[in-house]
Amino acid sequence: MTRLNLVLLFAVLLSAMHLVQVQYDSRRLYAEIEKAQAQARKLEVEHERLQVDKRAQATPLRVEKLAKEQLKMRPAGPAITQYIAARVPQP
Amino acid sequence: MTRSVLYTSSPLLASKTPVWRSKFMVAGLALGFATLAGRAAWIQVFGNDFFQRQGEVRFARTLELPANRGRILDRNGLLLATSVPSPSIWAIPEDVDADKRKLAELARLLEMSPAELGRKLQDEDKTFVWLKRQVDEPVAQQIAALGIKGIYQRMEYKRRYPEGEAAAHVVGFTNVEDKGQEGIELAFDQALAGRAGSRRVIKDRLGRIIEDVGQQVPPVDGRDLQLSIDSKVQFFAWQKLRDAIAEHKAKAGSVVVLDVQTGEVLALANYPSYSPARRQNLTGAQLRNRALTDTFEPGSTMKPFIAALALQKGLVRPDTVIDTAPGRMSIGGSTIRDSHPHGELTVEQVIQKSSNVGTVKLAMQMSPRDMWELYTEAGFGQKPHVPFPGAVSGRLRPPKTWRPIEQATMSYGYGLSASLFQLARAYTVFARDGELIPVTLLKAEGPAVGVRVIEARHARAVRHMLQMTTGPGGTAPKAQTVGYSVGGKTGTAHKQEGRGYSDKKYRGFFVGMAPIEQPRIVVAVMIDEPSNGKYFGGDVAAPVFSATVQQTLRLLGVQPDMNVKPQVVVDAVEESF
Repeated sequence: MTRLNLVLLFAVLLSAMHLVQVQYDSRRLYAEIEKAQAQARKLEVEHERLQVDKRAQATPLRVEKLAKEQLKMRPAGPAITQYIAARVPQP
Repeated sequence: MTRSVLYTSSPLLASKTPVWRSKFMVAGLALGFATLAGRAAWIQVFGNDFFQRQGEVRFARTLELPANRGRILDRNGLLLATSVPSPSIWAIPEDVDADKRKLAELARLLEMSPAELGRKLQDEDKTFVWLKRQVDEPVAQQIAALGIKGIYQRMEYKRRYPEGEAAAHVVGFTNVEDKGQEGIELAFDQALAGRAGSRRVIKDRLGRIIEDVGQQVPPVDGRDLQLSIDSKVQFFAWQKLRDAIAEHKAKAGSVVVLDVQTGEVLALANYPSYSPARRQNLTGAQLRNRALTDTFEPGSTMKPFIAALALQKGLVRPDTVIDTAPGRMSIGGSTIRDSHPHGELTVEQVIQKSSNVGTVKLAMQMSPRDMWELYTEAGFGQKPHVPFPGAVSGRLRPPKTWRPIEQATMSYGYGLSASLFQLARAYTVFARDGELIPVTLLKAEGPAVGVRVIEARHARAVRHMLQMTTGPGGTAPKAQTVGYSVGGKTGTAHKQEGRGYSDKKYRGFFVGMAPIEQPRIVVAVMIDEPSNGKYFGGDVAAPVFSATVQQTLRLLGVQPDMNVKPQVVVDAVEESF
């Protein structure tokens, strides 16, 4: 009887230790997930910011200025456009 | 000799004590234990909630999950407005104790003088001072890297408007709290704003989140809005308008471009404008979206409606001759004049040459009620169904109150008022073979369904008159474009000043459509107070119309309907094997 009790006591102690360990691990992992998610958000935001920057570099105002001044281009008119009939896609 | 006490024979034991004393002790101890047990039970069972709560207060936190404000896109998905994070810098003045060098560096990053920064940090009674709101992310990182104690950052969002001035009036802007203040930003504020969520978490002593507790409310991001605006058309129209206003030393102007098939607004430009990023010292003149919020007397641009009504009522045919000599006529003691007297004109020529006398002679054959009905059906005097702050309905009085002279002046566009937007929409009646279509600022899925106002053949007849206006002998040859046939009507109106009309101040308009056989777009142009000699709509507004049409149709991929002498040199050489 005493031996059984001792075995059970050890079992309870081990399980308690394990519980503490698992709890610790889960919190650590949770914190890591949080960190990763925060970083993902930050990158997303950075992406959005860069998109805007890209767009701001490509406004019609800037494009036209660069095309006229640097590349010496001029607006296309119907006189210098060759129109071709659109090919109807075959079903 | 040892002194020892024989306990067994202690005289104390020998003394007789009453039994109740020991019983009293036992009872006292028992009571003590019972109290402890009761307290333990209270803490752990009955009063548990309170202690749980107290515990949570010490390490559980409710975090707000901010929702992103929706983006505003143009019809092709290009960004017109979006939110980017921009931290705000704040300080607890009492806690700031950095050396001069670091503070000078901070001042440089905040773009203020060290003295100014010093003033902000001087007031030690305050526990919170904004140093600068919404700085750029890279700058914020540099500030954080300085590591000054007592300087903190708060994450905020700032709107960016890559298109700048060209689209400022349509898109509008938000304030520092991210609430819409003008334009689409205000009109669709609720849809764009989204709803912030929240979550409750447990943090450890290092401030890391280690567990979620309770329910999480996920944030609802704002909806992205896709407008009908084409940013290229918008920019081009704005640029041409700006150049024309500079050339004619005008006060202001507007351009509206409508897609006739879908009822979408492709461009809505105003000048003067403003840069949404720098909004200090803005005036009402810059802020107003004139095309929608300002009304004016439309002048001669109303004449085609009278011609259409006369055809519809069977009063005349396009080639019926009307005698407009000697270029003036009097009604009820007032005289109506043509600025250039003509003789006998056909109905077509009345519109082509914009004769007031001819138009009045047509109008006086109709009842005021008929005129009022057509004007109302074309949308005059009614608020346009666009969700835009400050869109006006204009003024059209009920027909019972019209005196004969007023009926006469209303036939050529005086005595009623409309916005340029309304005027552009009304012209879809001619462009759509007699149907008025609803217009939208949001991207539409399919073609618009119109309401019939006049018969198709009469609308086509009026369209022919509009084309003649831009041809030889018309009032607006400058509206012509290369490759595309156009049609439209000029308008030049004296501006109202006080109780009468000003002699020297004018508004010049042009409203037209292209290509004329199968119109794809309606373009309306208004130039306010041109003061560099020229002021006729055909001189100041028609060139803007021409340039805008030319560019817009090319961008829409519409093939020219007129023969153009090609200048493309195609040297096809057989490929050799």
